Amino acid sequence: MATKTKINFQKAFEELESITEWFEKGEVDLDEGLKKFERGLELAGTCKEKLSEFENKVKEIKAKYETDI
Amino acid sequence: MTEPHILSVTQYLQIINTVLREHVPSQEIVVEGELSGFTIKDGKWIIFDLKDENDAKAKVACFATTFKVTGVFENGMRVRVFGFPSVKPWSTFQIDVQSIEPVGEGALKRAYEMLKKKLELEGLFDVGRKRALPRFPERIGLITSRDAAAYGDFLRILNNRWGGVEILFSHVHVQGKESVPEILSALGMFSDMSESDRPDMIVLTRGGGSLEDLHAFNDEAVARAVYSSKIPVVCGVGHERDESLCDFVADVRASTPSNAAERCVPSRQDVLYEMEMMTRQMEQRLTDSLADKKLVVERATRTVRSVLDRESQRLLVSAKRLRDVFGTWHIRLRDRTSSLEKLLRQVDPKRILARGYSIVTVAGRIATDAGTLSIGTEIAVQLSRGTFDAEVVRTNGKGKQKLI
Repeated sequence: MATKTKINFQKAFEELESITEWFEKGEVDLDEGLKKFERGLELAGTCKEKLSEFENKVKEIKAKYETDI
Repeated sequence: MTEPHILSVTQYLQIINTVLREHVPSQEIVVEGELSGFTIKDGKWIIFDLKDENDAKAKVACFATTFKVTGVFENGMRVRVFGFPSVKPWSTFQIDVQSIEPVGEGALKRAYEMLKKKLELEGLFDVGRKRALPRFPERIGLITSRDAAAYGDFLRILNNRWGGVEILFSHVHVQGKESVPEILSALGMFSDMSESDRPDMIVLTRGGGSLEDLHAFNDEAVARAVYSSKIPVVCGVGHERDESLCDFVADVRASTPSNAAERCVPSRQDVLYEMEMMTRQMEQRLTDSLADKKLVVERATRTVRSVLDRESQRLLVSAKRLRDVFGTWHIRLRDRTSSLEKLLRQVDPKRILARGYSIVTVAGRIATDAGTLSIGTEIAVQLSRGTFDAEVVRTNGKGKQKLI
């Protein structure tokens, strides 16, 4: 079974949210702000790329049924 | 005539029970009747009589355990009993019950209501224990029948909204005798998976139906399995108005299979819009901050300019004062110089010479005492205009004789 690593949408999105929050609170340092902004754009790009995945894979798995009836 | 077999009581009962097992096709028979004298002893043993409605005398004793038979029953309820006949050592005939099912909408409804009450009192429906679903699931466990419309509806809505999800599909019967054990083992299998293999959420779903159709979703064991699932469960059973016990126990109650898909994943459009808003917000804040900085710089420039203006003004004033002071000092100096010059001019020896005096020098030294001069010494005499040299002939009346 594939492990949950690749591009983790959740992580990328959360980081994007936290960057946005950083921008929302108080004084924005220009140098840091620019860096964060760039990172934010990068994350948004990654997320958008992930959003272009349209397929959901269905994988059938069998459970072992108890047969003591 | 053959000699009769002589058996002990136990042996006799054994034969009876073997015959009963072999010759009553129990797997194919359920006995329908009315419950009476229903009691549970020590929370383990269920004892009741099953009787016919119109013949009070026709009744059979039944025995079951709470491990096998779950649900809530009451006297007078019409049920179908599945079990094996047996004669006990104390000579009672009874059915060893494997399962009891209420019969007819009325009994089912009643059993459902009683079980709902019981589970509610136990706290299985508590809102406080419900777990939140991760917003962006990567793996979803799906428990339903591949032949049900619910299966197609769920996947279609899921695909419309979101992509890249791995769906671990466990096919089960969603009604009929197999449904309960199949759903139980599917739930168990997901919970037993290692943490890294586990789905982020489980969806248990089927379309609408009668109370009888939905019985697996109202089964006590299934409800408890949903309750104790290690993975959050989304339950979507039936149409808008249908309810099932699993709905109440599940972490998320969806109204339909399609709604279950909506509860599991966000829609692309919403997320895109949200990201758009976030980037715009960041950009705005950055622009604002730039504008702030520009304002600060402008203010600083203005301040510096005014300081410079003030300082240059001061410099001008100082320079003017300096010029003024220098002017008066200069005049004073000039005046003093000319008066000194005047004084000097008065003591100028040349002016004295002009008045008829002369200066006598001997070998460059001014002679002031005639006594020091020897006869015959050459002297230089400076007059107001010109010089001449002479010889001393007499000093203080002594020396060469005057010619006259």
